[in-house]
Order: sequence, then structure tokens, then C-alpha cells
Amino acid sequence: MTGKRITLQQAAEIIKDGSSLTFSGFTIWRRPFALVFELIRQGRKGLHLIEVNGGPQTEFLVGAGCVDIWESCWVGHELYGKYGANLSRKVGNKEIIVEDYSHAEMLFRFAAAASGAPYAATQTSLGTDLHNPEYDMLGRAGLRDGKRIPKHKYIFTEDPFYGAGEQVLVPAAKVDVAVMCVQQVGEEGTVRVNGQFYSDPEAARAADITIVMAEEIVPEEYLRRESDRNTIASFEVDYIVECPFGAHPTGMFGRYDVDGAFLKDFYGRTRTQEGFDDFAKEWIHGQDHHSYLEKLGWPRMLNLKANTALNYSTGVKRGQ
Amino acid sequence: MESNYATPEEYGLPDLLCCAASREVKDNEIVFAGTGLPMVAIMLAQKTHAPNLKLIFEAGTLDGRPPQIPTSVGDARCEMGASRSSGLYDAFSVAQRGYVDLGFLGGAEVDEYGNVNTTCIGNYLDPELRLTGSGGNPDINSFARRTVFIMVHEKRRFTEQVSYITSPGWRVKKWPEGSFVHRKELYGSAYRGGPSAVISTAGVFRFDDETGRIYLDTCHRGNSPEQIREMCQFDLDISRVSGETLPPTREELHFIHSVLDPEQIFIPKVKHKG
Repeated sequence: MTGKRITLQQAAEIIKDGSSLTFSGFTIWRRPFALVFELIRQGRKGLHLIEVNGGPQTEFLVGAGCVDIWESCWVGHELYGKYGANLSRKVGNKEIIVEDYSHAEMLFRFAAAASGAPYAATQTSLGTDLHNPEYDMLGRAGLRDGKRIPKHKYIFTEDPFYGAGEQVLVPAAKVDVAVMCVQQVGEEGTVRVNGQFYSDPEAARAADITIVMAEEIVPEEYLRRESDRNTIASFEVDYIVECPFGAHPTGMFGRYDVDGAFLKDFYGRTRTQEGFDDFAKEWIHGQDHHSYLEKLGWPRMLNLKANTALNYSTGVKRGQ
Repeated sequence: MESNYATPEEYGLPDLLCCAASREVKDNEIVFAGTGLPMVAIMLAQKTHAPNLKLIFEAGTLDGRPPQIPTSVGDARCEMGASRSSGLYDAFSVAQRGYVDLGFLGGAEVDEYGNVNTTCIGNYLDPELRLTGSGGNPDINSFARRTVFIMVHEKRRFTEQVSYITSPGWRVKKWPEGSFVHRKELYGSAYRGGPSAVISTAGVFRFDDETGRIYLDTCHRGNSPEQIREMCQFDLDISRVSGETLPPTREELHFIHSVLDPEQIFIPKVKHKG
């Protein structure tokens, strides 16, 4: 045993008011929900989310008033809610600053931070309003200090090496904390992700502190028998938390499917702030992770459980 | 055989859109597709006329052969039979490197040069409604040789000027001043093509090679060219209409409803009366 193992409550305490934060996963898959709920219970304020893409985790934190700045490219619940109603409401009320990039730009920003480079060069999204200098929202708010928030949203430049024309330089995405939600982590922090690993390796490496929530903590020696199957190296991970079903209501490859009914209910009920507060009272406040799972109940969880040969659930009803 | 086309009672509008989109795919192409109807369309192409197409989902599966429809590109079902299961860095690098022939995308608004908005309705600095945001829409549209948009047709969506250019069309803004230039000029050596078709709930639209302006190609059953022109805020070119959008074949309907989407996740079945 090393000293990396902590509880869910301790993990949430590492994320301070005003921290910048990013997550594992993709839209409605492998989001660290047990910790997101704990942050809401602990009443975290002023978070700056920097995400390759957003999803239900963004919507919960934004709805609960934990977030001041959201820097990303997309938010919604896929089939189960077409856009982020909570973010939309707060943007309309000017309660939140949104900085828009494209998906590839966000990814290249994380890859730059993960490799210790100050920026990346790309040619994506040329000619769009993503590059409209009037729409530099962090600049308009006077927040570009050149420390954690880059001095510029973009820099345009001509390729100095091959003469390939107009390039866009995008700043590295430097974040304080990354929270990952994965299938397995070893006692020393080695991570094994099954299925698509999305942008998890870049996100984990870009952050100063990386916390890994796993379905199970397994012996390090077991993971090191087949290191080619591992995704993130032990020393890139600072803290580990064991948390079965920690991604619910999002899905986890090989373990359980997305709980579409839960997300649909959330989307439908949280178009207003009163609706959100009511939802949070029912599902988040006054609970801990175990009582939340008890409230969901075994029949619901068993229905979501993935078939081990197919890696997805054959029980969930997906259609109309 | 002509008799193999379904009769109007046998299919619905979503079936027609799916088949029209599927026919945009050529065999052996590398195709990048988003969640929803685009997914059904390319998987239909894979089952019918384009068995060798290579399918990329932006969450990280390359050349997958899922037997059933995933509900998102991050879905566990995307990985079935894939050549490589990886992450976004691979998927977007493949696109920026120039491998992608065709991208399938959606949008909330489109203008006559194929600029598409998925970010907000109204003034960006004081929006009426914030939408999903860009996602990979501009990235795929920047790098694919052709992009096809599938959209709901409403007059307010086929607009003279989109609220926000999320995804680049044929005439785009050159920043920092924001003057309009041809896409070719701005993209330089990264230029590979651009929007090639819009399949709306009213018809199929294409773009003039020279000017990059949109024109009506085919009308879906029940819409006249004049009616469709009335459904656009800009002056739609209807001088090149080639006819009515071809209906689905019975074989295509079989694949959609019995093989690809039997759960009716994206494409509802037509309900027969009697």
C-alpha cells in the first residue's frame, strides 16, 4: 500500500474554491459523477472548468452554481437532452463566462499542456466566429493575466517552416486538477482504461494534480503483467479513490451503460433553477455515494450492467 | 429495378433523409460521422453500396464495424470490429492530416455559402438561446474533402446571415478584420474542399463550384421548388432542379428497420393504417 488512497470526501476537498478543473470521458461516458455530486454537497464555488468537451457533469456543476468560467466546445446529453439547459440559462443571465473553442482546438490545447509546450499550432476552424476577436470573453472580463489564463485566446501566424500559410496558435490548457473515472487503478496509480480512452491521457498529464476514481483498486503487480494494456503511468497519478458505479448516470465501457432515463429526467426537470434545486434536493443533498446507489436500487443497476462479452448492456431500452 | 422503390405509404421523411444521405457516400471512402441520423446513413451505405467504407467516430474508434447503432460516438458499441480503438488525439490527427473524404454533420442554421451555426441563437454577446456549441463540427468541416449537412428545414434556419459562424462554408471570415474571403484563399495548403450538400427536411441542396453559392438540386416528395424557395430567407437558386429526391428502396428500408435501428432510436417506423 502506498499513501495515494483517499476517500471521496477527501478527494473533493483537494479541489478548492476557484480551482481550474478537468475530467475524463466523453459527453455521456466515464464522467466522475460521485465526485461531482460531492463537490456540490460541499458547496464549491468559483470553479473554472476547462474541458475537451462538456457533458452532464458540466450541467450538474453549472446548475448548482459551482462554476464561474466554462472553457470548452460542446455541452449536452446526446440523445437524452439536446443542449445544456443549465449552461444556456446561466449564459443568458450572464452568471457565467463561456470561452468557446473547437473540439480539436481544445484537444490540441490539452496535448500541448501534456507535453510541456506553451501552445499548439493548428489550421482548424479558420474563417469561423470562434476566431472573432470581439468574442474573447476572458479578455473582455479582464482575466488574461498570462499565468493560469493565457494572455491571448489565439495568435494568428504564417507557417515559418514550410510556408503552409495561415496557422492558429492555441494556448496550452493548464489546469489545477484532473479527475478521472476509469475501470481499474493499481495501488501505485497505474491506470487501465478499457475501450476508447478519449482524451484521458492528455487530460491526466496536463493537470498539476491528478485524482483517479476507479471501479476497483487492483494490485499493481496485476496491471504490470501486461503493461501494454495500460493507459496512464503510476507517477502521473497523485490520489486514488475506489468508487464502484462512480460514473452513474454516465456509462462505463465493459461495466455499465448510460442511464438514459436518468439523464432525460434531469434535462426535462432542470430547465429552470427551481427545477434544478428540486432535483439536487432529491438526488444529491443529504446523500452519500452509497445511499445514492441504494436510492437507485439494484434492479435499475442490474439492468444497466454490461454483458461481459459485448461490453454493453443488452437490457437497456434505448429507443422510443 | 424500378419496382424496388418503396411506395409513399411505406416510408417516412426520416427514411428518405437517411437514404439520401447514404447515397452521398462512395465505396472505399473514409467517413467521419456524428451521432444520430448520420450514423444510420453511413452504416446503411456500408450495408448496401459501400461495403469498403472506413468509419471514424471522433471519440476514438477507427474503422469500426458496429453491428447495431451506437447512441453516441463515445458508446461502447462503436468499438465492435474496429481496426483501432483509441482516443480523440488519433481521430482529429487523422482528420487534420487529410485522410478524411467525407464528413456528416448537423446544424441549427445555414447561410447561402454553407456557413453553419451550432453555437447560439441571437447576438453572441447576449444570446437568446445557447445551443450545444461547436463540438467537432468546424474541425471535420475544415479538414474533410466533402461535408454533408443534415438539417431541419425552417425559414428561420435557412438564413441570410447565421447568428454565429461555427463551421466554415465557402465564403468565410478572415480575422482579425473579419472581411469575407473564399475558403480556398484562407485555408491555403490545408484546403481540401468544403460543404458539398445540405439534406434538409424539404430537399437536397448543393453548392456552385465557382461561387460557392447554394442551389436546390432535388425536392422531397410533396414540395415544389417555389415552395422551397419560400422557405429560405435568401434568394434560393432553383434554376438547376434535377427532379424529385429518389425514394428509399425496399432493401434500404429493410436494413434501416430490421438490422440497424430496430429499437427506433433515431428512425421511427411508419405506422400502417388498417
